[in-house]
This record gives sequence, C-alpha cells and structure tokens, in this order.
Amino acid sequence: METDLREDLLKAFEGKLNQTITMYLETCSRCGICTDSCHVYKSMPRPEYSPAARAEVIRKLYKKYFKFQGKLLPALGEARSFDDTTLDDLNRAAYSCTGCRRCMTHCPFGIDTQQIMSIAKLMLVVAKEEPEILSMLADVSISKGESIDMIKQGFIDGLKRLEKDVVKKWKLEAGQIPIPTEVQGADILYVALAGAHSIIPAAAVFNAAKENWTLSFFEAVNFGAFVGDPAKTKLIMDRIINEAKKLNVKEVCICECGTAFRVLKQMSGKQPFKVSSITQVHERYIKENKIKVAKNQFNGVITYHDPCQIARNGGVMDEPRFILSQLTDEFIDMAKRAENNYCCGGGGGLVAMGEDSHDFRMKSAKVKADQVKATNASLLVTACENCHSQLSDLNKYYNMGVEVKFLSSMVADALIHD
Amino acid sequence: MSENIKADKVLDLKGLPCPMPIVKISKGIKEVEINQVIQAITTDPGSLTDFPAWARTNGHEILDTIQGDDTITFYIKRVK
Repeated sequence: METDLREDLLKAFEGKLNQTITMYLETCSRCGICTDSCHVYKSMPRPEYSPAARAEVIRKLYKKYFKFQGKLLPALGEARSFDDTTLDDLNRAAYSCTGCRRCMTHCPFGIDTQQIMSIAKLMLVVAKEEPEILSMLADVSISKGESIDMIKQGFIDGLKRLEKDVVKKWKLEAGQIPIPTEVQGADILYVALAGAHSIIPAAAVFNAAKENWTLSFFEAVNFGAFVGDPAKTKLIMDRIINEAKKLNVKEVCICECGTAFRVLKQMSGKQPFKVSSITQVHERYIKENKIKVAKNQFNGVITYHDPCQIARNGGVMDEPRFILSQLTDEFIDMAKRAENNYCCGGGGGLVAMGEDSHDFRMKSAKVKADQVKATNASLLVTACENCHSQLSDLNKYYNMGVEVKFLSSMVADALIHD
Repeated sequence: MSENIKADKVLDLKGLPCPMPIVKISKGIKEVEINQVIQAITTDPGSLTDFPAWARTNGHEILDTIQGDDTITFYIKRVK
C-alpha cells in the first residue's frame, strides 16, 4: 500500500477514535456470545461472519498503529500492518454487517460493532473503494439540496399526479389541499421517499386527522449514512434541517425509512423541532381519536418485522404493535421481545446495491425467512422501505407465501369516514 | 421532440421502488456508447427530480421528458 494512502487511512481512523469507540476496541474478551446473535453468521456460519471477527479486522490495525505494544512488538499484540489485502478485508467486514446492532444487545460489554464498522466504511471512502452506487446516490441527494429551485417544478408536477389517489383514500373538506408544500408554520413537516407509496397513504392520514402539515421537497433516505461518509451524511441531513427551520415547523415526521429516522433523530443534535417516525404519529392520532380505523379488514394472521433502525436502534417498538392491535385480532409476534427480531438482511446499504448484493442478502437472511415462516402469517407488515424491499425479495426466494405490506398503507386503507 | 429521438436502449423501470430507478439507469448508461441515447420509462413521480439531479451529477444530458397518464419517459444521452 502506498505511503500517502496509508497516512490518509490512519488519519481517518484516528478521527473516529473517540472515548466510546476506543472502549469498544479495548474491551472485547472474545467470549463469542455475539456470534449466534448475528443473522449473517446464523445463516452462513463462517468465522469471518461473526461480529467479533469483523471487529477484529479494525482492532488489529488499532493495535498496530495506536497502541504502544503494537508499535514496538506487533507480533505479540496480534497487530496487523496495512497490506495489499487490507482493503478487501475491510470491505468484506463492513458490507457483511447490516448495522442492525443485534450483537450489541447480546454483548456483555455492549460493544457496538456497527460503530467499529463505521471506521472500516470511512477508510473505504478515503481509499475510494466504497460501493460506487452508494456514493453516487448520496451525490444525487446532495445535488438536489444544492439546486432546490431547479427541482421544485419537477417535484410539484410529480405531486399533481398523485392528488387524485390521495383524495380517493380520504375525501377532502373545503379548503384542504391534498398534498400541501411550503406551508409556513406548519405543525408537521413530512419527509417522504421518492415513491408514490410513501406519499399517498401518509397524505390521506394527515388529511383525515386534519393535520396542519406540509410535504418536504427532499427525500428522507440518507445514502451518506449507508456509505459511512460523515460529510455527505451531514449535507443530506442538513437539507431537511434547513427546510424545517425555514418553515418554522414544530415537528419533522420521517416516513417509513429506518436510516432516515435514526440519522435525523440521533445525529441532528438539538433542534427547534421534534423528530418522529410516521408510526409514532399514527399511533398518536389513533390514541387521541384524531382518526378512526376499522378492525379486521385484513384477513389472516398478521406479523410485524421491526426495522432495526426504528425499533432496536430507535426505540419505536410499542407503537406499531398498538396500531396493529387496532387493525387485527390475529397479530402474532416473531420473537418474545421486539429487540430480538432478526434484521431483514438488507440494511447498511445492501438493498440499494441491488443485484450486486442479491445473493448475499438472500443467503445471509435465511434465519429471517425462518422466523417469518414460523408465525404462519399471511401478512408480513413492516415500517421501512429498505426492509420492505428485502422482505419482498426474501418472500420470492424462500417461497414464504406472505404478502408484504407497509404499516402506514394499512392505516390509510382502514380509515373510517364518519 | 421525442419523435425525432432514436433510442439505442430501452429501460423499463415501471413499478420499481426508490432508489432502484436511479440504480438501474446508472448501470444502463454504461451499457451504451458515448452519444448514444437511453429511453427510460418509470412510474415513480420522484424520478422527475431524481433523474435531472442524477444526470447533472454524473454529466449526462436529458434530451426530453414526457409525462404520460401512468408513466414518465426520459430520453437520456450518455455524454461521458
């Protein structure tokens, strides 16, 4: 490896070494409890797929370059120098981890492998060896933020195409706009994804609740976070923060996108608005009687897949279950505790890598498919676009025999008109 | 304008969720020669903002955009 690149990689590594990550790197006792917690290892039991082994790729570099013993006597401290295979090893470790953090909940020390893998992802970005498609998608998002006036008309044209479908789901009262934009002082700024399915049901429910809402010009998903580039993550996040501040909204509601929710909720710092997931907002509307939903209009047993970034990493676990309790009498959970739901296998940017990651995504998520099949459910519900895409792929690959649905679309379809 | 444009490759992106239309067009553009044209058909209204931003970021040219009742069609020239 060239000296300049090695120096750049070490600089990036050092920039990540805060107290918490240093503790993670110093602490692992190799007890192995994390091994069976990982859906990838559980589905494909190879040593390199255990969380501890992934972290070890980083830990050995840490010992070599940041520990006295590794600098002086590297052979004794299991240290490793950069060589021609390091970047391949970093790639395999980082992109075989979906960042679900199930291992963290099992680790006696609470070691967060996702945080350790963020070092690997950053070094791949520095070396320009990250998945090209993820950086490209991040750049497209940033470009939209830089040229809002250029995209505005296209966006509004796109919304016009959706209005009739919004009204089909919920008839408007006089003065109501099907999909409002640029509403100064709105109570809620809703940040959707590019697809119609992310906008139409949400708009119908907001309108049914008589919410004072406005739709963001930007898509929620943060590809900067998927690729592990902090600068791009911030630029993409700032588009939404700036829009929310400009409109002086009270609350930013993130659509069914796990990463978008986690990034804005946990990485945006103190802001003059509250951050909620659409699942939390829908639960609130039902509890406050702002909307009414019909029970048992969906036939058969229903189960729910907790999106890792919304549930285990975002704390939204009771809310979807309350909503489902209002929609069905035939709900069954996949695990005794929501935290124990396996990852769908598509997180960490894998779904966005499309066909390139398909084989790995399918094989590494066999335990997820088994978890779904064991419920005998006919309807598999989730609240994340990424999970929905991956679960739909798994459904075909493993003949799971379920229909995969978004929770928000079920709420919209179950709305009762007084 | 589109009736004068000859597409060298057609990409059917109908029904694909975010971000697959952009993922597919990014791969598809590499399968045509420089100055050749791709016709991409989508149903995703978000593509009205995503495709221009993608073309601008990656240095390609959108020759025409046609909004039908159910589909949106882009004619995109590979520039580099």
